[in-house]
Amino acid sequence: MYRRWLWPGFAFPGVLWLVVLFVVPFYAVLAVALGTVDPILSRPVPIWNPLEWNVGWVVEVLHRLAPGGTFSGVAVRTVEYVAISLALCLLVGYPVAYYIARHAGRTRNALLILLILPFWISYLMRMLAWVNLLSPDGYVNRFLVFTHALGQPRDWLGGHPSTVILALVYGYIPYLILPLYAALDRIDRSHLEAARDLGASPFSAFVHVTLPLSKVGILGGAVLITLPMFGDYYTPNMVSSAPQTSMIGNQIDLYFHGGPQPTIGAAITVLLAAFLTVLMAYYMWTIHRASRELQAA
Amino acid sequence: MSIVAEGQPKERLPAWSRFRGWTTNPWGRPRFLVVVTWAYVLWSIVPVLIAIQFSFNATRSRTAWQGFSTRWYWGDPVDSVWHDPTLRHALVQSLKLASADVLIATPIGVLLAIGLARWQGRGSRASNFLMLFPLVTPEIVMGVSLLLVFTQVFTFVHTGTVAQILGHVTFSISYVVVIVRGRLFSIGKQYEEAAADLGASPSAALVRVLFPLLMPAIVAGAAVVFAVSIDDFVISQWLSSGGGTDTVPIQIYSATRAAPLPSTNAIASVMLVVTLGAIALAFFVWRAFTRGERRTGAKPTESLGVFEI
Amino acid sequence: MARGEIRLIELSKRFAELTAVDGIDLDIPGGEFFSLLGPSGCGKTTTLRMIAGFEQPSAGRILLDGRDVAYTPPHRRNVNTVFQNYALFPHLNVFDNVAFGLRRAKRPKDEVKRSVARALELVRLTGYERRKSSQLSGGQQQRVALARALVLNPAVLLLDEPLGALDAKLRKALQIELKSLQQEVGITFLYVTHDQEEALTMSDRLAVMNAGRVEQVGAPRAVYEDPRTLFVADFLGVSNLMDATARGGGHGHCRVAVEEFELEASAGDGVMTGPVKIVIRPERVELEPHGAPAGRNRLPGMVERLVYVGAAVQVIVRVATGETLQALVQNTGRAVPYGRGTPVQLHLPADALRVLPATNRSDRSQAETPTLPEERLPTGSRSR
Repeated sequence: MYRRWLWPGFAFPGVLWLVVLFVVPFYAVLAVALGTVDPILSRPVPIWNPLEWNVGWVVEVLHRLAPGGTFSGVAVRTVEYVAISLALCLLVGYPVAYYIARHAGRTRNALLILLILPFWISYLMRMLAWVNLLSPDGYVNRFLVFTHALGQPRDWLGGHPSTVILALVYGYIPYLILPLYAALDRIDRSHLEAARDLGASPFSAFVHVTLPLSKVGILGGAVLITLPMFGDYYTPNMVSSAPQTSMIGNQIDLYFHGGPQPTIGAAITVLLAAFLTVLMAYYMWTIHRASRELQAA
Repeated sequence: MSIVAEGQPKERLPAWSRFRGWTTNPWGRPRFLVVVTWAYVLWSIVPVLIAIQFSFNATRSRTAWQGFSTRWYWGDPVDSVWHDPTLRHALVQSLKLASADVLIATPIGVLLAIGLARWQGRGSRASNFLMLFPLVTPEIVMGVSLLLVFTQVFTFVHTGTVAQILGHVTFSISYVVVIVRGRLFSIGKQYEEAAADLGASPSAALVRVLFPLLMPAIVAGAAVVFAVSIDDFVISQWLSSGGGTDTVPIQIYSATRAAPLPSTNAIASVMLVVTLGAIALAFFVWRAFTRGERRTGAKPTESLGVFEI
Repeated sequence: MARGEIRLIELSKRFAELTAVDGIDLDIPGGEFFSLLGPSGCGKTTTLRMIAGFEQPSAGRILLDGRDVAYTPPHRRNVNTVFQNYALFPHLNVFDNVAFGLRRAKRPKDEVKRSVARALELVRLTGYERRKSSQLSGGQQQRVALARALVLNPAVLLLDEPLGALDAKLRKALQIELKSLQQEVGITFLYVTHDQEEALTMSDRLAVMNAGRVEQVGAPRAVYEDPRTLFVADFLGVSNLMDATARGGGHGHCRVAVEEFELEASAGDGVMTGPVKIVIRPERVELEPHGAPAGRNRLPGMVERLVYVGAAVQVIVRVATGETLQALVQNTGRAVPYGRGTPVQLHLPADALRVLPATNRSDRSQAETPTLPEERLPTGSRSR
């Protein structure tokens, strides 16, 4: 009915844009990371020919990331923060998603709107809100002192990992709950009824039916929040004034904006991207396997 | 209706059993989950409400409430959003970037969505993959790559407004594609076939049938692009060339790390209202357009299929 | 006005490894109500879509009034389609939907108004112009779809299972309406359905399709009472198949042996011997009490069960040879005199008993209506 070249023609502007402003920039990062540094001007010299790539700087960064190197502490800390934040997000988010998907009756629409609302509130505003609350004379300290949970106000913003983790959880949990809700909502009620009919207690039905069937949703949500979290630098910067809570994103930020060594920053970026690609591939493979089981079931 | 707790004969059960009955009632709502859910919702929303409240504070404090005032919005001749030149510029810059982003990304995205959905050839899977990538790329990686490309390759584009617009469009296109593609999928090919069957040329079928039917998704896509662009921080910061090209999120970020005033809360609240207004507008436009098509029982989660990778 | 004659010549459609339509030939004269009948996946919808222009044939020709339109785009063919779910444009009201094709053809405004009014009157929906399709019932939407297609005066109207989404009672009513509409308008209707009762009710002639090929073409009575292949016999109603051995015959008769019983049956021209299948429709099976005088074409059996289906009673009888036959006894108000376990005698009248080849290979030379005089079938058989 339509000319065959029409659809590729429609797609062409978008694809061209993405190639020029997405693929080429990625290549630029590779070219700088695997390039050299002009010794006189201290400026990065990108190498565009893959055959001439210089792995020196990437190797250097790898050394620093290895145990004992200057980046190893940051790298390990980043993984810790992300892992703990993910666990907390799941701990809080799963019950919420579960409740809204399976039980909320008339309040469901209201709850959904309240779930979606944080998406449209600027991330920085949400962090700002907590900075205000956690300041020395903010409501948190005042409440805790008032209830005698604390003897005197605590400096939450002074460089505590717990503050950073709280902020990460607060910031990213909406991106976990929504896909999780969608996955739980899609589980056919008759599976659970069958389990109950066959003698499973509510708890057992949950563990043996709901949980496995929601695996895909959990993994999807996990991907959606851990990948960006690994590159986060603004959250530690906003809720913590000390460098001992910095994440790997802060290192990249530093080398681009703090000092004259974009090549190192580019190298860290390349390694981070490679790490995330491996993580992503693992997720995809697991999701693929889990959803294949679902189809067979 | 609780069979365990109510409808019992005169003899009262021991307190523990009654409590268990209340919490584990198989026909009632799981109370524990209700509590957790509403606690989460409060924890999620209340801090922001408090921040908005303090934007109306009468004094410079963001933590001690001392009365209602609009000084931080327009009253204060030095530090209010209206009078402080940095804040005003940031507001203008944010709106500039968002508008440009909508005007450029929406048409490109709509065409890309239609093209990808219908294209059967060899390149379509690769193009589809390419389109999905910006959605899963961490922003710092995009920021680094764009900064490098504008300083090492396309050096005729300096950091600043143009670079920021180009960066915004790059991540916005994918949002439009995902939204429009969902709508395209639910429309199907039947209306264009009917149009061709009745004598419409291919271009007439596109213009008179497909585009009117896509309109709600196009509007929704534009609204999402607007909202995402206004709230963007990382790309805007990495491609900014200093004060004049700072956006509101950058202002909030710097102010928070330095010496925040309630005017920061105020400008954040202004942005929030603008964003929510755009989303609400898109929502109502969508509902108005699809009023006749709403089937009973269509689940809201159908539109959440965007989360499926 | 165009005659609306359709001729399909060796029409094929292949999708990757699947052959949806396998070289079919059909000849449909103008003004006929013609049905394509078959199970899902038999290729009938693909054939329709090729005639409409939404699929390009892999091979073959589609002649519309003598012109090959196989590679003409759909908007330039003089055929219009009523889609399975109507495809009424949701953003337009009834008037604009019906007027759509006229406006694309740039007809003047007053002509558009008159034509739309006439079309709506034809489908009895005058007064509904301002309604949106979401405000119409299923039956009304279908009529708007009809009006929209008919207003353009096509040579042929294609209907893709248009009654599939409606409940049974509405379907029956609309079947009658569609048939009378076709007779009133006088153009060719090409109707695709999987419902054999629908096809038998409405068609002047029909083609039974299976796995991309045409098994038999003919008038409803001919296809029902004189099936040429096992598939056709089985698809159109209950077939009461039995294995038998043919002992030869001629001039339309054939002697067959079912174990030790000898029966007279009808067959096409041509002598048949060897293993065959015999077919008889349940309403032609006559039940006689056990001791009745035996005549030709009688088989002894025992009633296994009775199934009440409202207008009739199905009597399932196990024949002495071991096979099961179904007899249909009309509900005349008197009870069926045979209960479970009663021995009975089955009379299979010779003119109702048909002989079919034992395998279901759809043999084209046997099954299709001859199209041109020189294409006389090898066995000389013609559908009645």
